Amino acid sequence: MKGLFYSQKAAPYLFILPFILTFGIFWAFPLGRSIVMSGQNILPGQTENVGFDNYTRLFHDRLFWLAMTNSLRYTLLTLVLLIPIPLVLAVLVNSKIGSPKIKGFFKSAMFIPALTSVVVAGIVFRLMFSESDTSLMNQIVSFFGFGPVKWLKNDLTGLAALLVVAMWRWTGVNMMYFLAGLQAIAPEFYEAARIDGASRWQQFRYVTLPQLRPTITYVLTISVYGGMAMFLESFMLYNGNNSPQNIGLTIVGYLYRQGVEKNDLGYASAVGVVLLVVILAINLTQLFFSGMFKKENR
Amino acid sequence: MTKVKEPKEKVQGSPAGRIGLFVSFAIVAALALIPFWAMLVGTFQDGDMLIRYGLNLGIDPSTAHVHNWVMLFTDSGPYFRWFANSLVLTVVQVVGTLLISSFVAYGFAMYDFKFKSFLFILVLVLMTIPFEMLMLPLYIQVNTMGMADNYAAILLPFLAQASTIFFFRQFMVGLPKEILEAGRVDGVSEFGIFFRLIMPLLKPAMAAMAILNGMASWNNFLWPLLVLRSPDKYTLPIGLNTLMTPYGNNYSLLIVGSFFSLIPILLLFLAFQRFFVEGMTAGAVKG
Amino acid sequence: MKWTRKLTAASAIASLALLSACSQPSNEETPKATSTVDQQAGADATPLTLWTFVELHGKFYETMAAHWNEEHPDEQVKLDVNVMPYDDMHNKLQLALNSGQGVPDLADIEVSKFPNFTKGTPALMDLTDAAAPYVADLVKSRLDLYSKDGSLYGLDFHVGTTVAYYNTELLDAAGVDYTTIKTWDDYKAAGVKYHDATGKSFATVDTSAAWQSNLLLAQLGGDYLDADGNVTVNSPEVVKAFDILKDLQDSGAASVPPGGQPDTEEAYGAINKGEYAAMIMPSWFMSRFTAYMPDLKGKIAVAPAPVVENAKVKTVGGGGTGTAVPSAGKNTELAAKFIAYAKLSKEGNVEIWKTLGFDPLNTSMWTDESITHDPTNETIQYFKTNPFDAFNAVSDSIGLLVSGTSPNFPSVNNLFTTETLNDIFESGTPVQKALDQAQSDLKNELGQ
Repeated sequence: MKGLFYSQKAAPYLFILPFILTFGIFWAFPLGRSIVMSGQNILPGQTENVGFDNYTRLFHDRLFWLAMTNSLRYTLLTLVLLIPIPLVLAVLVNSKIGSPKIKGFFKSAMFIPALTSVVVAGIVFRLMFSESDTSLMNQIVSFFGFGPVKWLKNDLTGLAALLVVAMWRWTGVNMMYFLAGLQAIAPEFYEAARIDGASRWQQFRYVTLPQLRPTITYVLTISVYGGMAMFLESFMLYNGNNSPQNIGLTIVGYLYRQGVEKNDLGYASAVGVVLLVVILAINLTQLFFSGMFKKENR
Repeated sequence: MTKVKEPKEKVQGSPAGRIGLFVSFAIVAALALIPFWAMLVGTFQDGDMLIRYGLNLGIDPSTAHVHNWVMLFTDSGPYFRWFANSLVLTVVQVVGTLLISSFVAYGFAMYDFKFKSFLFILVLVLMTIPFEMLMLPLYIQVNTMGMADNYAAILLPFLAQASTIFFFRQFMVGLPKEILEAGRVDGVSEFGIFFRLIMPLLKPAMAAMAILNGMASWNNFLWPLLVLRSPDKYTLPIGLNTLMTPYGNNYSLLIVGSFFSLIPILLLFLAFQRFFVEGMTAGAVKG
Repeated sequence: MKWTRKLTAASAIASLALLSACSQPSNEETPKATSTVDQQAGADATPLTLWTFVELHGKFYETMAAHWNEEHPDEQVKLDVNVMPYDDMHNKLQLALNSGQGVPDLADIEVSKFPNFTKGTPALMDLTDAAAPYVADLVKSRLDLYSKDGSLYGLDFHVGTTVAYYNTELLDAAGVDYTTIKTWDDYKAAGVKYHDATGKSFATVDTSAAWQSNLLLAQLGGDYLDADGNVTVNSPEVVKAFDILKDLQDSGAASVPPGGQPDTEEAYGAINKGEYAAMIMPSWFMSRFTAYMPDLKGKIAVAPAPVVENAKVKTVGGGGTGTAVPSAGKNTELAAKFIAYAKLSKEGNVEIWKTLGFDPLNTSMWTDESITHDPTNETIQYFKTNPFDAFNAVSDSIGLLVSGTSPNFPSVNNLFTTETLNDIFESGTPVQKALDQAQSDLKNELGQ
C-alpha cells in the first residue's frame, strides 16, 4: 500500500480521484437524470415517458419565451455594461498616474459590493427602488423633475433596476480580473511600442488588447453564464418569483417555478436542458471565435 | 525582526491628470458605497417604516434610534444562531474546497496520464453547466442518499470545485517541475511532495481562492434553501429571508441583521486582499 | 505591517465567533424562537412538528395545545412550530410530501395553494372522522373548499366573509354616507363624489390579489373554471366583473394601492395615512387594522359589501388557511384529533376570534352577544361599528367559488395576480383582450 504513495504512475489517478467521485456522483448522474426526466411526465407516484412532448409544449409556451427574452436581454445588456466599463476602470487604475493608496482604497471599495449576499443586496435595492416617493431612487428622479416611479412594476424600469444591481455588484469583480490581466503584461512590450513611436491609444489597441484577450474571453464566458443563469437577483428584488407581469422572470426562474412551485419535474427538466444548450452554444461559439481551441493555448 | 520598509512609490502624472483621476475614482467609489450608507442609515429607523416608505440616504434625527442595534445584541432570537451556522459552514467549506481542489489540480498540472485531456475538459465543461439546471435532480438524489436537511449535502458536491481546480491548475503549471524531481531524489512520496513542497508555494492562489470561495459559501442561498429544513440549521442568508414575511413584523431585524452580516466577509477580504490580485494574476486569466 | 493586519482580522473573526457562541445559551432556553407560549406539556407529551407561514397562527396553535393538554392529560402534545416565508413553506412542503421524507405532522396550507396538494392521490390524511364531532355548527362551504371526492383534507380558521371597510372620518368630511351604499352603482357614485371632493381615491383596484373580482364573480354567478376544470376566464360573467372594477378606476373612484392590494405592508402605510377611504376585503383584514393601522382606531366602520343587481349571493369567503395532516407523518391520529379540536371546537372558535380576530366557522357564535359584544375585545374596541352586525347581515348568503377546489385553480390565481390584473389596471389593456390572453395562456399551460 505504501508503494502506492510513491508510485509515480498511480499518483495522478489518486490525486484526481476526489474530482472523479464528486463529479460522477453529484454532477454527471443528476445531469443524466435531468435529461431523462425532461422526456417524462412526472406526477406524484407515476412517471410516464412522453418523448419530446415537454419540448413541444415549451415551444408553444408564451411564458417560457418571455423568460428566455428576459434572460437574453439581461445578458446582452450586462455584457455591454460590465465589460467595457470595468476594463476602462482597470486601465485607469493600472496606469502610472495617481497615488497607489487611493487606488488601493478604490479597488477595495469597488470590490466590496460583490461580498454582499444576494439576499442583502436584494433587500436594500428593493427598498431603494420602492414606489414610495421617499425612496432613494424616486428622490433622485424628482430632483430632475420626474414624478415618483413605480420602478418594480414596469418592464423597462424593472430591467433598469436589475441592471443597476448587477453593475453595482460585478463592476468591481470584473475590474479586478482585468487588472490582473493587465498586470501580467510585461512592460517590455510597452517599451518597445513606445520606442516605435506608438501613441497611448495605439499602445492600447496593439499591445494591451491582444494580450488581454484570454482575460476578456474568460470574463465574457463567466458573464454569459452569470447573465443567462440569473435568478436570485430578480427573486430578491421582486420579493419572490412572481413579478408583476413576469417582467422579472428568467429562465432559471421559470425552471424554479415549474419544478419547485408547481412540482412539474419533467417540464422543469426540459427547461433546464434548454438552458444548458443555450449557454453551451453561446460559449462554444464565443470560444471558437477567439481561438481558444487552438492547441497551444492549453 | 527588521521591518523591511516598502520603498515609497513615486506618485506620477501631471496634477491635472491626477486630480481628474481622483475625482473619477471618488465618484465611482461613492456610487458603489451608497447602498451601504443607505443600509446603515436604515438600521437606525423602524423596519416597518422602511418597507412602507422606502430607503434613502438622509437621517432624520427626530425618528432615528438605536433600538435595532440594541435588539440585535440582546433579543435577536435565532439571528446569531444563523450567524454561527454560516460561519462554521463557510470555514469548513473553504478549508475543504481549497485542500481538495488544490489536491486535484496538482494531479492535472504535474503529471501526464491517460485521459488527462479528456478529464480536464470535463472540468471545463463543469464550469459552464448551470448549477440551477441540476439542482432539482440533485435535490432528489441527496434525499435518496439520506442527506436531506444535512450540511453534508451542502458541502460534498462542491469540494472538488471546478473553477477552483481550474484556477489552481493554471497557477501550478507555472511552477518549476524541478521541485518534484528534487523531492523524488530525496525520497519523498508523491503526496509528500505535494503537501510539503508545493503547498507552501500556493499562498497567493490560496488567498485568492479563499476569498472567492468564502464569498460564495457565506452568501450561498439557493441550494441551502432547498436542502435545509430545520430552523436551527438555517444559514444567515436563509434566515434573513425568513424575516421578509409580512406576517412576522421582523423588518427591523432584517435591516440591522443584513448590515451586520457584511462584517465577517469584509474582514476576510481585508485580511487577504493583498494576495488577491497577486493570486489572480498568476492564475486563471492566462487562457 | 502584514502580520498586525492579519492578526487583527483573525482576532475580529474569532471574537465574532465567540460572540455568536455565547449567544447560544440564551437561545437554548427557548428552543424555538417563536415559542413564547407555555404549552404545559408533560414529559410524556408527543412532539408534533407544525409548519406555518404566519407567526400569529403558530402562537394560536400553541395556546390551543395548552388547552388540549389540560383536557387530555394522557394524550398530551408538544408543538414544535416552524414559521417559514409563505412561498418557501409551500415549496418545502411540496418537496417533502413528494419525497416522503421530512414531512411535518401538521402544516398550514393557504387556500389558493391547497389544490396543489390534493393532486393525484393526496398525500394528506382524511380528516372527516376527526372533524365529525364538530361539523354540525360549521359553515359547510368552508369545509367543502378543502375537500376532494368526499374526503376532507384541510381545516380552516374562518369564513373570511368579504365585507366593506369605510373610513368614516374621511367620508364624513367629503359628505359621503356609507350606509346608503348598497349596490356597486352606489359604490361608484360615492367614489366619484369622494374623488371630486378630495382629489384622492375612494377605493382600490388590486393587481396582486383577487378579493374584489372573486366577490363580483360569485355575485354574478360565474366562475374561472367550469365543473370539469376547463378554463372559462373570458366568460361573460368574468368580463362583467372586471368591467365594473375597471369602470371604478376610469371614473377616478379607485386606484391601484402601493403593494398591489390592501394586504401589504406598503398599503397599510397608505391606508393609515388616509390615502384610501374604502376597502373591500375579507373579514380577517380586521386584524391588519388592529396590528398595523393604529391611527385609524375608532374611525373604521364595517358594513356589508356592495352587491350587483340580482346577485346570486351576497358575499363570499376570501382567503383561508387549511391545516392538513400529511399521511406520512408519524402521529397522524393524534395530530388529526388535536387540530380538529384546535380549530373546530367551540373553545377553538372562541380563541380564534379572541386572539386572531377572525370570523370563526362556528356561526352559532356570531349571535352570542357575550362574545360578539365583549367590550374588552381589542377588535370590538377598534371598530366604529360592531363587525358581527355586518357578518350577520350576510350570513345567510355566503357563497363559494367552486373553482377554488380544482387543481387547475392555482395556475389561474397565479396568472391573474401576476399578469392579467396588471395588464388591466396598470397597463390599460382592454378587459376582453386581457382575459382572452389569459384564457389562451391557461389553456396552453393546463394542456386544454
